[in-house]
Amino acid sequence: MTRRVVRGAALAAAAAFFASAELRAADLELGRYLATECMTCHGTASATSTIPNIFGLGEGHFVEVIRAYRVKALPNPIMQSIAERLTDEDIAALAAYFQTAKK
Amino acid sequence: MTDMTRRNFGLLAGASLATLSTPLFAPTAFGQAKPKVVVIGGGPGGGTVARYLAKDSGGAIDVTLIEQQKTFTTCFFSNLYVGGFRDYKSITHNYDKVKKAGVKVVHAMATAIDRDKKQVVVGKQRIPYDRLVVAPGIDLKFDSVPGYSEAAASIMPHAWKPGPQTQLLVKKLNALKDGDTIVMIAPPNPFRCPPGPYERVSMFAHVLKKKGHKKSKIIVIDPKPAFSKQAVFMEGWEKHYPGMIEWQDPKMHGGIKGVDPKTGVVKTDFAEYKAALCNVIPAQMAGKIARDANLANQTGWCEIHPESMKSKVDPNIFVLGDASIAGDMPKSAFSANSQAKVAAMVIRSELTQSRAFPARYSNTCWSLIAPDDDIKVGGNFEPGDGKIKAAPGFVSQKGESADIRKQNYKESVDWYNGIVADIFG
Repeated sequence: MTRRVVRGAALAAAAAFFASAELRAADLELGRYLATECMTCHGTASATSTIPNIFGLGEGHFVEVIRAYRVKALPNPIMQSIAERLTDEDIAALAAYFQTAKK
Repeated sequence: MTDMTRRNFGLLAGASLATLSTPLFAPTAFGQAKPKVVVIGGGPGGGTVARYLAKDSGGAIDVTLIEQQKTFTTCFFSNLYVGGFRDYKSITHNYDKVKKAGVKVVHAMATAIDRDKKQVVVGKQRIPYDRLVVAPGIDLKFDSVPGYSEAAASIMPHAWKPGPQTQLLVKKLNALKDGDTIVMIAPPNPFRCPPGPYERVSMFAHVLKKKGHKKSKIIVIDPKPAFSKQAVFMEGWEKHYPGMIEWQDPKMHGGIKGVDPKTGVVKTDFAEYKAALCNVIPAQMAGKIARDANLANQTGWCEIHPESMKSKVDPNIFVLGDASIAGDMPKSAFSANSQAKVAAMVIRSELTQSRAFPARYSNTCWSLIAPDDDIKVGGNFEPGDGKIKAAPGFVSQKGESADIRKQNYKESVDWYNGIVADIFG
């Protein structure tokens, strides 16, 4: 029983590791190309601007927010429209790019 | 689990191999001349493509931007200058940061394109290119309005190319007395900035209202039966400027007979107006250099391949922005900036073997009706049916809350800062 729990936890940890490994394998070059669209509005965004700064945003948070726009769970038609055509792969690529990209 | 593990390791290995085989900055072989890209026109299309090529190629491409003017006043947001929301300086930008990005900026007039020799003629100089980007913006068809001419523009400003014309328009607007009439001759399709004339009318009205005018009128003579964001513009005009703006479609005016710059008289089929300020926005076509190089078709605009923004008549030339026939995309700075990124990606892939991606375009146009009342229209575009095709987009709705409209305005101001940095660095 105990052994099974430990094994279960190890499996979960391994799954988490490979999930993050998949994120690390995100297509950065694709992210860099797709990100050029974001730059039009977000390139000079700051902590106080209406358009938020997305540089250095955590990958997980980025993915969550864009997916929410994609299903229109967050308002703003511009972001809904942009998110609408992004695949999961696109979003992962963008998230990976912006996590480390410098302005 | 074992299967999944293998798959993931496979994915990782594949990713790192791909990274190794296609570096972001493709190096040029030692001793080999760098490929040359020349860009004509330093506006939203030209500035963006030059900066992105220089920046993303890491110096592997020799980029030259030819722009006559040392500073560039943006047409977008020039209506906000007309309305007194911005000063002239705040919409005027220089090329210092474009140069810093590694672009050679030549402040001279590109006089011709020698397509056979792949050279741009700049006075007595010839600048060779491997790829040429043509982004000259628009020229005005002055004779599309009877009685109007380039000389008449010093009395009846078009202000559809930013600069002294915009300043003249503001000067004339501020000199108006209560009871005066403004007449705007709106342009036929296709033209630069579809909501622009109607945002400008809103700014005229805002200035007159602020000056306390009670009797002044604004008449819009339009050759089109409908215009961009019409329902929300008209709702806004009624709300903020009741009775001041009269928009006439062709059924209402019967046709534009002509303007007389000497007397300020504007004649339509059904009426005659004495305008204290007449703003004539004539029909438009691609900039002269593009037409002279036979890049334009019989419509006066340049056909492009929707996957790349490459000219349909010359595989070494790309046409961006207002001068191009960009399918469903409007002629806007946002569109030009979006098209420039696709062109930069394609040019890099052709010249430095960097990776190519499917073209994606987008556009949003904001328009200010009154303080904190801003509307927007936009959407995504992709190649389809042989053109740049629109996906279902969005447009501001009638009866929206003041909060949404105020938010739109703030968003537009942030966008302006963002896009000018994206164009000019």
